[in-house]
Amino acid sequence: MTLAPPSTRPRPAFSLRRRKVERRPRTAIAVTALFFVFLYLPIGVVTLFSFNSKKSLTDFGTPSLRWYKAFWDDPDLTGSVVTSLQVSTVAMIGSVVLGAALALGLVRARSRFGSLANLVMLVPLVTPEIVTGVGSLLLFRGLELTPSMGTLLVAETTFSISYVTVILRSRVSALNPEVEEAAMDLGASRLQALRLVTLPALFPALLASAMLVFALVFDDFVLAYFTSGVSPQPISVRIYSEIRFGIQPSINAVGTLMLLGSITLIALALAVPRLFGRKGSGLDLLSGG
Amino acid sequence: MTTTTAVSSATAGPSADDTPAVRLEQVTKRFGSTTVVHEMNLDIRSGEFFSLLGPSGCGKTTTLRMIGGFADLSDGRILLGGTDVTGLPPNERDVNTVFQSYALFEHLNVLDNVAFGLRRKGADKKEARRRAAEALDLVQLGERAKARTRELSGGQKQRVALARALVNRPRVLLLDEPLAALDLKLRRQMQIELKQLQREVGITFVFVTHDQDEALTMSDRLAVMHDGRIEHCGTPEEVYERPATAFTANFIGTSNLMAGRYQDGAVVLAPGVSLAVGKRPGRADGTEVSVSIRPEKLWLSDHEPSMATCPGVLKETIYAGATTSYLVELAPDRTVTVLEQNTDRSRREERWANGEKLTVGFRPEHCLLLD
Repeated sequence: MTLAPPSTRPRPAFSLRRRKVERRPRTAIAVTALFFVFLYLPIGVVTLFSFNSKKSLTDFGTPSLRWYKAFWDDPDLTGSVVTSLQVSTVAMIGSVVLGAALALGLVRARSRFGSLANLVMLVPLVTPEIVTGVGSLLLFRGLELTPSMGTLLVAETTFSISYVTVILRSRVSALNPEVEEAAMDLGASRLQALRLVTLPALFPALLASAMLVFALVFDDFVLAYFTSGVSPQPISVRIYSEIRFGIQPSINAVGTLMLLGSITLIALALAVPRLFGRKGSGLDLLSGG
Repeated sequence: MTTTTAVSSATAGPSADDTPAVRLEQVTKRFGSTTVVHEMNLDIRSGEFFSLLGPSGCGKTTTLRMIGGFADLSDGRILLGGTDVTGLPPNERDVNTVFQSYALFEHLNVLDNVAFGLRRKGADKKEARRRAAEALDLVQLGERAKARTRELSGGQKQRVALARALVNRPRVLLLDEPLAALDLKLRRQMQIELKQLQREVGITFVFVTHDQDEALTMSDRLAVMHDGRIEHCGTPEEVYERPATAFTANFIGTSNLMAGRYQDGAVVLAPGVSLAVGKRPGRADGTEVSVSIRPEKLWLSDHEPSMATCPGVLKETIYAGATTSYLVELAPDRTVTVLEQNTDRSRREERWANGEKLTVGFRPEHCLLLD
């Protein structure tokens, strides 16, 4: 052997530079801290004042559940939350089914229209929502459809499909086509192969996109404002119209409950895939993991 | 020289009682304007281990996919056990496939992967699991029944894929380069196991590979494919010892292939240099031929007086442990490789120096004349 082993003793210059790199990045820490303050302070204020005994939005009295009771006793407000939940659920189911079908089609179709359809599918993601909202309103008017629960559902479902398709498309193209072939080889029909093999493989992505759509639709304001009927309004539209008459602190209670709902959803998304014995969770997909 | 023309004669009609497990009739596959399989005729006998061997892009995998029902035929028919299955979807064919990627179902455990086919055929859950467990025992994976597929090693995944296909007792098992992803040592071991398994279960295996060693060691018969056509179909011995075409001679093992002119029982390689290959009836003097001879059928030393010889110059000596290869130039641009077993060698030593003149010995009957 003529090759000498490389020296393991670190040279002084090297260790100096090393210490410099490992110094605490104070500026970065400060920026990060500020970022989180701006992000969570408003949410913190809303949560805090939802437990206020006073009506003021600036002066905190004693802790109380007064505004939760006020929310519960206000049929208009609870009706709005129920409407939002209904719209989110239906739009979630509809857009996941249609979006998944589109993703499968886009990845597998060898048609020349594939890339065109791909592009068209992405347009809603970059279109300003105000344009989408006004456009939808004009379309429904042109078709002589009065804004209602129906028009709201159609609009929300349609414009949520893109999100589902974007998330699922990468997962579908990562699927090994031989797996579906193996299912058919073992006696499954095309539909059985989809149900027994393909959809289970896509389950984390399906769950992730369903959650995303639910969250997006639940707090969507612009599209809801232009396409929903008068009563009962979705909660986002309802909060907006209340601003004109002065905000009731019960809105704080609604906000806090929505926050609680979101945290529950995220916890579920983390837990459910683990219950099925998978390593990855739906959230990994959203956070790019 | 009689070459086995099993390709064309195979369809001449075997008797009714030994219906081939797989029969391809004029099978053609075109993708757009390119034809990847040309009017292929092939009979695969029941219970045999049959290999489709060829370089990548020769159409072997496409052929397998057509038998499995994953690719449509552009022309021709495929019969399984005498029944025309052309156009039937994979789930209506009595064949199962072991895919190159194994294609295991990751959301199911090992046992349920193997039970999948039985469940689709209507076996109840308990019965399917019992038979799946038996199949896992057959491939020595009984203890990993509850494991997740992602926890398995490559070799174990391979066995699961095998058990999952075999448990259905198909008429024919199709294997698409199943050993390609394994390392060399494991591959050798799996080759032996696969061959033993095939004898045990008695199911017809159709095995696609680009590895000629694999095809030679495992197959009862094999077909060498090239550019969508079968070049030679026969037993490993026939294909190796009497290759029908220059392509086969080159693809299977290594071969010394030299162009020359046939003249009165010899092939003239260059003015004054000829190989005495013996009289070949039916071959006219003066015709251009290729002569092919295997490196292990050439001798540098110890050749017997009865052998034909040809003088040459040693160009290179390549020591490779068990064997040594010598490159000997017989005439300009006519270099042959001579392979010798290092039977008597105890230490590295050169018996001849490069540039030394020596004599290459061979038996005329080992020289193969190809057009």
